[in-house]
Amino acid sequence: MPTPLSAMRLSRAALVLCIAAANATPVFAVDPATPAERGHYLALAGDCAACHSAPGGKPMAGGLAISTPIGAIVSSNITPSKTHGIGNYTFEQFSDALRKGVRADGARLYPAMPYTAYAKVSDDDVKALYAYFMGEVAAVDTAPPATDLPFPFDIRLSMAAWNLLFLDDKPFVPDAARSAQWNRGAYLVQGLAHCGTCHTPRNLLMAEKSTQALAGADIAPWQAPNITSDAFSGVGGWSEQELTGYFQHGEAKGKAQAAGPMAEAIDDSLSHLTDADRQAIAAYLLGAPARRDPNDTRAAYAWGEPGGDVDSVRGVPWPTDRDQLTGPQLYDAHCATCHGASGQGSFEGGLPSLFHNSALGRMDTSNLVMVILDGVHRGGDGGGVQMPAFANQLSDTQLATLGNWLLQHYGRPQAVISVAQVARSRTAATSASLIWMARAGLGAVVLLLMIAIAVGARHLRRRRQAGT
Amino acid sequence: MTEPSSADFVVIGSGIIGCVTSLKFLQRGASVLILEAGPRVVRDEIVARFRDSPRRGDWMSPYPPAPWAPHPIYQPKDSGYLVQAGPYPYPAEYIRQVGGTTWHWAAHAWRLVPNDLRIHSLYGVGVDWPFDYEALDAHYQDAEETLGVSGAPDTGSPRSKPFPMEPVAEPWAMRRLRERLAPAYPVVTNTTARNSRSYDGRPACCGNNSCQPICPIDAQFHGGIAAAKAEAAGARLLPNANVYRIEHDASGRIVAVHYYDPQKVSHRVTGKNFILAANGIESPRLLLLSASDKYPQGLANSSGMVGRNLMDHPSTSLTFDAEEELWLGRGPQSPSSINTLRDGAFRSEHAPYRLDFTNISRIAGTTQSLIDEGVYGAEFERRLRFSAAHELNVKTVLEVLPHPENRITLSDQKDAMGIPKPQAHYSIDEYTRRAAVVANADFARIAELMGGANLRYSKEGNFANNQHICGTMSMGNDAASSVVDGFGRSHDHENLFITSTGVLPTAGTCNSTLTGLAVALRTAAHVLGDAPAPPHA
Repeated sequence: MPTPLSAMRLSRAALVLCIAAANATPVFAVDPATPAERGHYLALAGDCAACHSAPGGKPMAGGLAISTPIGAIVSSNITPSKTHGIGNYTFEQFSDALRKGVRADGARLYPAMPYTAYAKVSDDDVKALYAYFMGEVAAVDTAPPATDLPFPFDIRLSMAAWNLLFLDDKPFVPDAARSAQWNRGAYLVQGLAHCGTCHTPRNLLMAEKSTQALAGADIAPWQAPNITSDAFSGVGGWSEQELTGYFQHGEAKGKAQAAGPMAEAIDDSLSHLTDADRQAIAAYLLGAPARRDPNDTRAAYAWGEPGGDVDSVRGVPWPTDRDQLTGPQLYDAHCATCHGASGQGSFEGGLPSLFHNSALGRMDTSNLVMVILDGVHRGGDGGGVQMPAFANQLSDTQLATLGNWLLQHYGRPQAVISVAQVARSRTAATSASLIWMARAGLGAVVLLLMIAIAVGARHLRRRRQAGT
Repeated sequence: MTEPSSADFVVIGSGIIGCVTSLKFLQRGASVLILEAGPRVVRDEIVARFRDSPRRGDWMSPYPPAPWAPHPIYQPKDSGYLVQAGPYPYPAEYIRQVGGTTWHWAAHAWRLVPNDLRIHSLYGVGVDWPFDYEALDAHYQDAEETLGVSGAPDTGSPRSKPFPMEPVAEPWAMRRLRERLAPAYPVVTNTTARNSRSYDGRPACCGNNSCQPICPIDAQFHGGIAAAKAEAAGARLLPNANVYRIEHDASGRIVAVHYYDPQKVSHRVTGKNFILAANGIESPRLLLLSASDKYPQGLANSSGMVGRNLMDHPSTSLTFDAEEELWLGRGPQSPSSINTLRDGAFRSEHAPYRLDFTNISRIAGTTQSLIDEGVYGAEFERRLRFSAAHELNVKTVLEVLPHPENRITLSDQKDAMGIPKPQAHYSIDEYTRRAAVVANADFARIAELMGGANLRYSKEGNFANNQHICGTMSMGNDAASSVVDGFGRSHDHENLFITSTGVLPTAGTCNSTLTGLAVALRTAAHVLGDAPAPPHA
């Protein structure tokens, strides 16, 4: 049996595609002794294990079922097993799988594998990754279950058409006008770290909108926020130190805490990078083009103030119908212990304040709902619980009541949580594939369209090539 | 929906022991039906009730009893449910709700010390257990891994595997006690079922200091968690099912139990095996209530020992003002203790004891006493601040020996359901009282080492109850002097097993829950036909 993805992993594994290509050789922030060691580091930066290792399974042996609009895609065994892995891959075959989405047998990979982003990876880095996978990863001679998609998506050749449309083969070119640090950051963000996979919105054909790079996207049931340099909509108000600390520890006091898929990205990847690489990523983001949602009139972390009316509940009996509990009653019983009677948090931000907290400062309340339902978990497979899950403690109505009270007192008062929204998020959190399947209507149309368009696209491209 | 009426295992009581033991049966594919007299409760409502309570130190105040499943209440006045026959009061507190009494506890999860099981052979007092400490080691470990236990390595209880997690951080006051009492008294972190890190989906303790009456974040294990685990594993848990009679057939086998729902409609539940997992008061009460023509003394009571050998851990205490600011109240309520007096040759003369330091914030208690004294204004603030910073309290946790005359019987008074109330007959013997006198010297020395002033000893001859109800259904190899055999099976009914702190033959000097659970897990392994746990290497 493939291991089902958690909702968090799932949303991070959302369908992919970055702009890409390969030839530049950026300056490396690290210079380990051997290519294999460098490859190990790069595999962490690329977060290969996030999808290619199943919980409880062997590293890189695959088996994780990644839900997509068209069905579950099971990650493959990429250990150097000669029978069930990539042990027989030549360097060229490895490179083509990583950067072109083509398997050794010529079959196309589905874009759950972010090969369009990895296409940015330099030849030297691909060599290092090859050395690591072939020499350091333990071979596992077992096969994960086969991916079994319904027609017509079972025709892997359909991806060839999609690639023609969206696989950008322009190489990463360092910008000579920018610093080496900025270029290193760009190389990582656009390439191995594949930030845009979640943070860049997509067009109807599920390709990232390059004009809206990193401007935030729906990765239901979570939302990947705008991480451009805009001071209101993005992270422009963060210092470089706050960003690098966030990448390392998952929190920036008075601003935000990583939860859901971002917590996983930090645990599995960003926290393992060198300080220099984290600084490079921060520098690149702070220098990337700002994208502002005109509705944003201040930064997400700049809303709210201490207060609330929790003292009003003292001595007030609870209603028989628990869905009639008020915001302050729910806050008092569930939240005040850690977040304080005035939302001020505890331990100088060790338990965060709720005002001046990005989770409550956005019009899109997906993440607030998900954090209450699922809690905040960092610390990797050890199951670190920074905030417990309340899915089993709060009804949909209670969560909506509580969330709206929180937004009114500590967050963005215009933002709203509906009971139906909580129900949808709850379903998505417990049965991750459902929300994707709900979108399958769009997905199916999109992919059918793709196939239709593919013929014309190939035709166009031939004409263009003929014209050069 | 029809209510379940039969199961392979019918478990009476939904506390930690009943629910964790049920997991073992469920893992083997058996059906389990857990009957709980009281209602379901949820943490948030308990937290709200605690915050609303005018009595911060009354740990029962967030747990009002259901009329159909009363439990003892003493504040603001004694509800009279647990009738006191004297001569010394036994004011036990417990909770008859889904999850049981560990909804509020200090989460102490100690192992006995090996000699606790052999005090008759070694010291000529009390009784020996029907097995030795080694027989419990693996079951202790199993219990500790389920509950998430941590502790100091050197408390006199050997272990063959490490604790499942590292100890909870030491509060400042406990650190200063440890530093200033060394080397005269080694102060160590208590062995507790409290998370020092994320464990089993629950967060680490963040020091709310309200372990009793409720941990607001489930950083400590409690019976509600155990009940949720059992239900998730497939147990059917029936709340509001107040079992009032156990039914046997002509051969003495148990065939059914009868319970009242809140409307006092009687229901009958049949099963193959019956696990009595209520506490050391309600369990013997039920056995006595089940008297029949064939068993006029009550079930499992051919020895006449049901209800007898009632024990607890009485406490004396010293409160004093340390010379430095220590600010009790940060971290768990009961973090540290001294464990070097739990065993020794002196046990032939007087009881052993642990010395336990409280870390409960002094603010509520001091405020109350200053108001009672009529202190107001600036003087009030000065004295409150001083006490909050300086006040310390150390208490004994004394062993009591099993005495048949200390017992639970049926009262002639009846509860709201028309069922006879339990009645406690209790006294504290010279063995325990002598230890309290000896411990006064320890108290004085501790105060001296802390630069203490304003020493306030608990009144001589006064002992606080610690709610560690044990005895009453003792284990033993001799059917004439015990209620169950060494595996928890009733001497009189082959399919009736008792898993409860009530089966512990002696009390030792530590809280009874973990040992009760380890013994229960040994019973479960026996019932399931598992080989006895190997002695630790």
